[in-house]
Order: sequence, then structure tokens, then C-alpha cells
Amino acid sequence: MTFFQALLIGLFAYLGSKRTPWFFGVTGGWNMIGRPLVAGLIIGLILGDVPNGVIAGAMVQALFIGQITPGGAMPADVNWAAYIGIPLALAAGGTGEQAVALSVPLSMLGLGLFNFIMTINAYFPHMADKSAEKGDGAGIHRATYLAAVPSFILRAGSAMLICYLGTPVAEMLINSMPEIVLHFFEVAGKMLPAIGFAMLLKQSLAKQWMLVLFLLGWVMIGATSMSVTALAVFATAVAIVFVMAQGEARVPATAPVESVEEDDCYEE
Amino acid sequence: MKNRNQNDSLLTKKDIDKAAWSYIFFAQATQNFERMMGLAFCHVLEPVLKKLYGADSDEYKKALQRHMQFYNTEPQLGALIPGITIAMEEARAKGENISEELIVNTKNALMGPFAGIGDSMLIGTYSPILLSIAMSLCIHDGNPIGPLFFCAVWLTTVVGLQWFLFHKGYNMGIGAANLFFTNKGLVDKITTGLTMMGLIVIGGVAATTVKASVIFKYVNGDMTLSLQEQIFDKIMPGILPLLLTLAVWYMMDKKKWSATKIVLGIVVFAAVMVFLGIM
Repeated sequence: MTFFQALLIGLFAYLGSKRTPWFFGVTGGWNMIGRPLVAGLIIGLILGDVPNGVIAGAMVQALFIGQITPGGAMPADVNWAAYIGIPLALAAGGTGEQAVALSVPLSMLGLGLFNFIMTINAYFPHMADKSAEKGDGAGIHRATYLAAVPSFILRAGSAMLICYLGTPVAEMLINSMPEIVLHFFEVAGKMLPAIGFAMLLKQSLAKQWMLVLFLLGWVMIGATSMSVTALAVFATAVAIVFVMAQGEARVPATAPVESVEEDDCYEE
Repeated sequence: MKNRNQNDSLLTKKDIDKAAWSYIFFAQATQNFERMMGLAFCHVLEPVLKKLYGADSDEYKKALQRHMQFYNTEPQLGALIPGITIAMEEARAKGENISEELIVNTKNALMGPFAGIGDSMLIGTYSPILLSIAMSLCIHDGNPIGPLFFCAVWLTTVVGLQWFLFHKGYNMGIGAANLFFTNKGLVDKITTGLTMMGLIVIGGVAATTVKASVIFKYVNGDMTLSLQEQIFDKIMPGILPLLLTLAVWYMMDKKKWSATKIVLGIVVFAAVMVFLGIM
């Protein structure tokens, strides 16, 4: 990998990190450029091997689908997995399996960096507090822009340096990695996504009985060849039926006035 | 729906559009463990507050300080909240009876539900659906159409959604918050419906993502028993990853294990299982 290629990868690693505003904020950055699937295409373009980049991206993406970060608590650092794992695997002549094997440990190491940035960035609100007291609006904007600096230096810098200096190490690791170690990363990598879904469950389960819905979705996909989109349609139908049935069961108990109010709300 | 007379607005459409773009770009830009989205929220509202209260007024300074406080939600679905907040600040500037506490409390009361629904609908359901379609287009031959499809659909719909919600929040103002709090029945129904839909889809996506299978075969004389194919798959395909996911959820939700602790747990478990030749 040339220095220029590593530099470009570092730049995109920053653009796909959590705190980057530059491309439609969190929607275009963290949730788009930062997805391993998209990273695979970008890295493939930079390294001149689009098909392998995209395949590696899709395989790494499978590990991190549906991962949320409630309250900034993150189970794994997708950014390092995508922007260091994929390029190193490609540069070392590997494909998807090797990218997965590198991404799993990198996603854990990257957590240290994530938490470090989340901690030092607490400095900037304090800086802005002083501006707020004085009614200095420009100072608040300055603090907001400055808050991007540590993120830029650490995200772009770490991805660039590790990609540039790490290629020989990755080559050595991939070529000398015993079969059993490769297999271990594959096994662990496929079990780790359970954490992301457990966090989603913890966040979404309003009532305990709703766990059966998760089981229902699992069985529908696991036991049939239904696509996720078809499942989404099915899920919408189930939800509507439940809500309608619940509403009708309540009709005798509620006063007519209330149902009129509700009709108004539907129109809005 | 318009519950305000456009003529007596202190803010122009341009002010609101500018704030909406500022929010879309900067909402998460200053995230940190202490205030989370606090500073960014103030950054987005500052131009509006300056126009409403005047640059040197005490009201302006107080407004800046109240929006610097801790604030955290799912920023994309949560785009409704800064819209509502701006409308409330405008009403306050016009002399309506809206206290500082009401503004701060409205923000704080809305951020929790929007974080929950936003995470489960956008990040837990919508994004995985798009990613699954995109991955099926490219995982075998590396066709760039997969990631391009994801980028085009995700970006346009979610940026559009935020633009819509931000403006909706402003136009409805405190009415949106009132609708949320007074129509408890309706809001509960919508929330329940969305949560139910999300949970079913999340279950399906989890089934395609989490994998665990046993490679150990029991050999006794000339009889070979494959645990995976002859036992676990017979009970139910994917039963092991399902049990694993439920176990992880149980440890996190009921036993309060941190994500880091679970990561280590899974890695050690995988290492032992692979070393013993079971998985």
C-alpha cells in the first residue's frame, strides 16, 4: 500500500466515524460511509480492487448489522474493523475471510480509542459554557468545530498509520496464521453480533411478553426462506392487527368523546 | 396543520431551514460522555436564539446555557425535538407564558422515547433491511451496485425524514409535545405498534446474522453422530445462535453485564470451544 493510498483510507475512516459532521452528519457519515459495506467499496476503489473490496465489506458488515450505541456504549468499534481490517486484508492478498479475521480483534482494540475520544471531548462543552455565560455565540460555534479536531487526528491518523505500517505485519499474520486461529476468529466473529441484538432487545422490550415477537421473527427467517423485506411486511401486518384489536376491545369502556378526539389526531 | 399565524412569526422560513441543515450536519458532532449531544444542540439553536432575544440580552445568555445541558437521543428520528424547541423559544420570546423549565423539561421528556424508537426503528430495523438487500446484491460477485443502492436509498430517505420531522416539530410547536403527552392512548398505540414491528424484524435480521454451529461428531465404532445435523438442526434450525442471543440478552438486561464483559466472555468461550474441537 502506498502512502497516498493509506492517507486516503485514513481520511475516509475519519469521514465514517461517529462525530463527523461533514457529509450529512451522522446519517451520511457514521451510518453510511462508516458501514463496512460502503467502506468495502471505497477501499476497493482506493486499492484498485473493487470486487474483492465489496465482498470483504459485505462479509465484515454481516458482523455488525443492527448494532446500536445507546448512551455511547459500544460493543465493538466498527470503524477500525472496516477501515483497518478490510484494507489490510486486501493489501496482504487476502479476501473476505481474512478481512473478518482481522476485523474481529481490531473492533475490540478500537473500543479503547472510541472511549478515549468520548472522554477527552468532554472538554469542549466546558469551553463553550464560558462562551454561553458571556453570550458569545461565536465561541459556541468555535467549540463545536474544535470538537472535530481530536476525532480527526485520532481517527484519520490511527487508520492511516496502521494501514501504512501494518501491511507487512498483516501479510505475515495472514500467511502464517494457523488454520485453527483463522477458524477461531470466524467462530467468534459470528457469535459477537449477538451482543448488538441483545442491546437492541434490552432497549426495545417495553414489556417482557414482547420477547415472543423477537422469537417469532427469528423462526420466520430461520425456518423459511423468507427475505427480510417480506418479514418487514408481515411484521407491519401483525403490529397493525394487534393495535386495531386492542383499540376495538376498549371501545365499550371509553366515552364517545374520546374516540372523536382520536379521529382528529389521525387526520393530522 | 397550522396552529400559528405566519404573520406574527419572529423567525422566517429561511431561519428554520438553516437550523434544520445545521441540525442534520452537526447533531452528533460533539458527542462526549459528559453531555452527549448537549453542545451540538446549542450550536444548532444559537442563531435562532440570537435573533429571538437579541445578542446582548440576559435572555439570550440564559437560553444558551439551558441548551448546553446534557442531551441525548437518537439524532435522526429525534429531529422533531429541536423543531419543537425552536417553536417554544419563539413563543417565549413573543411573551407567551412558557417557562425555561417547560422548555428544558419538554426536551428531556421527549429524548428518551425518541432514543428508544429511533434506535429500534432506524438502526435496528430500517438500516438492516437496506443492508440485507444490498448485501444480497454483492456478497458473491462484489458488484458495487450493493453499496451504491444502500447509500442512495439510506441517504435520501433519512435526510428527507429529518428535514420533514424538524419542520413538523417547528410548525406544531408545543402542540406536538402536548399531542405526545395528552393523547397517551394514541401515542401508546403507535409506540406499541412500532416496537412490535421492530422486534419481529430484529429477530429475523438476528437469525441471518448470528451463527453458531457445532462441528463435533460423536464416533463410536462405525456409528457417527453429527450433533449439529442430527440433533440441533432436527430440534430447530438455528437453535444454538438463538439460545446464545437470549443468553447474552439475559446477562446484559438482568445481570447488568457490560458489553465489554460480554465481548470477552464470547471470545473466551469461542477460544475454548475451538480449542476442544467442538465448534
